[in-house]
Amino acid sequence: MTQTLRTIREVHDAFDQKRLSPMELTREYLRAIGASRHNAFLTVCEERALGQAKVAEALLAREGRVPRERLPLLGVPLAIKDNLVIDSIRTTCASRILENYVPPYTATCVARLEAAGAVTLGKTSLDEFAMGGSNENSAFGPVLHPTHPDRVPGGSSGGSATAVGAGLCVAALGSDTGGSIRLPASYCGVVGVKPTYGGVSRYGLVAFASSLDQVGPMANSVEDAALLLEVMGGHDPRDSTSAVAAATPARDALGEPDWRGLRIGVPEEFFVEGLAPEVERATRAALSWFEKEGAKLVPVRLPHAKHSVAVYYLIAVSEASSNLARFDGVRYGTRPSGEERDLAAFYRKARAGFGAEVKRRIILGTFALSSGYAEAYYRRACQVRRLIKDDFDRAFEKVDLIAGPVSPGTAFKLGEKLTDPLRMYLNDIFTIPANLAGLPALSVPNGKDAHGLPIGLQLLAPQFGEARLLGAAHAFEKGRA
Amino acid sequence: MSPSKIAVDEALTRKVATLARLELSDSEVSTFTAQLEKILGYVESIQELEVQGVEPLLSPLAAKTAFREDEILPALAGREGQPKVLEAAGEIIDGGYKVPPVL
Repeated sequence: MTQTLRTIREVHDAFDQKRLSPMELTREYLRAIGASRHNAFLTVCEERALGQAKVAEALLAREGRVPRERLPLLGVPLAIKDNLVIDSIRTTCASRILENYVPPYTATCVARLEAAGAVTLGKTSLDEFAMGGSNENSAFGPVLHPTHPDRVPGGSSGGSATAVGAGLCVAALGSDTGGSIRLPASYCGVVGVKPTYGGVSRYGLVAFASSLDQVGPMANSVEDAALLLEVMGGHDPRDSTSAVAAATPARDALGEPDWRGLRIGVPEEFFVEGLAPEVERATRAALSWFEKEGAKLVPVRLPHAKHSVAVYYLIAVSEASSNLARFDGVRYGTRPSGEERDLAAFYRKARAGFGAEVKRRIILGTFALSSGYAEAYYRRACQVRRLIKDDFDRAFEKVDLIAGPVSPGTAFKLGEKLTDPLRMYLNDIFTIPANLAGLPALSVPNGKDAHGLPIGLQLLAPQFGEARLLGAAHAFEKGRA
Repeated sequence: MSPSKIAVDEALTRKVATLARLELSDSEVSTFTAQLEKILGYVESIQELEVQGVEPLLSPLAAKTAFREDEILPALAGREGQPKVLEAAGEIIDGGYKVPPVL
């Protein structure tokens, strides 16, 4: 049943027609997770899930049918990336350092989904502290691709992508700092949306790079992603960077777009050497589809985009080195056993639990912020970040959306890029610009390559342009099916 | 210091690790030094750009940060009246975090 009910609409129709109850559905998902070999979940919260399903079941019995306006997620089983905290549920960030951390509060985005009736099945794996693009950096073993177990699901929200793709939940939450929702969504053939910076509260998201991190939905349909975004978005007084006047991506925006007025920008910088021919072909075919529907394709230039990876890996690691300074073994995390002679020695021992990628990034970030180098590295990267954002501002004067590939290739083999960090970083070249400029962007399935591996189409919009972004993706999803 | 003159060597890696309160094994120092050199070589491309007078973009947030009222709200209450946040700590004394001597 979990394999046949893929979307929230299908789940709610089944509830309304009494074909299935919330308890039955949740039990089926818990069984599927237990039987799965994907290693997608780090913690399964069975008790919480069954408790929520029971409440949903009682409510449904009373109401007769799902009150879709009031409780749009009633009885819908979701998975949550394990860098979002839930009161009394272990949150590890896939790190040894937080292996036993039990947070005392719940992230706003999760609280809002649960208040709308959602059932939280568990916490999904990720690259440690969301640092990575393959999910191989988890301290608890790699997550496997939903259909090709010798391949990576992408990262860092690889657990959530596999959970959605393998039918272990209806939808999931991820977080995206440089592509961590869109890349795994693309690799696993699901929909993944990175909202506008400030669109969704980051309260309760364990910070990696605060000026880049955004929480977003991963789902089997654009409609589901839009619904999750609508429920969890909007201002949160507990996150000063959550926008006050955030646009609500209303589900009504999913109607037929006004194709004749739609201008889609095609940046030549997104069709560069290194792009796999099959991905390029699929992307160009998608562009032709939009054109055939009546949209106008407009060439645009993003001349500074080629510096995105360099800028990102200076800014993100700088912010990370600062954010991860909090893992000192005193307030949370693994406390060193034995009596250390001084605080510095205590810190060094406590922080030995970080994995290689996290240490590498902390070192790079500490270097980029250190006296004598901060001007040439961190500050200069922030200046180039402005130039990259200015390129987008200029492009969006001429177009409504920008389209391109999500990743240069499709899901690669486990271990393939593990020994070469720079090669792994370059895989983010098409997703990073949206984070640097704070733009909403998504990945929507766009066919498969010769191995049967999914390809994603990326669409980007101006800040708070989610409605148009989701509308176009929804039309594409329906039209290309 | 001109970044092109940076000598990425093991001494630099060790110095930065000390600043970051990270203890690295000899093999980590050697691996990280080689990787750091490669990554810094790659990011060098931004040094060629003309950025004179460009205001650094620290956050993409278009609107002003939203402040809330400075109200005192009850702390998360945990077991035996202790603030709940303390429960994640390895050791606490008299409602505070225990640390090694700092003086």
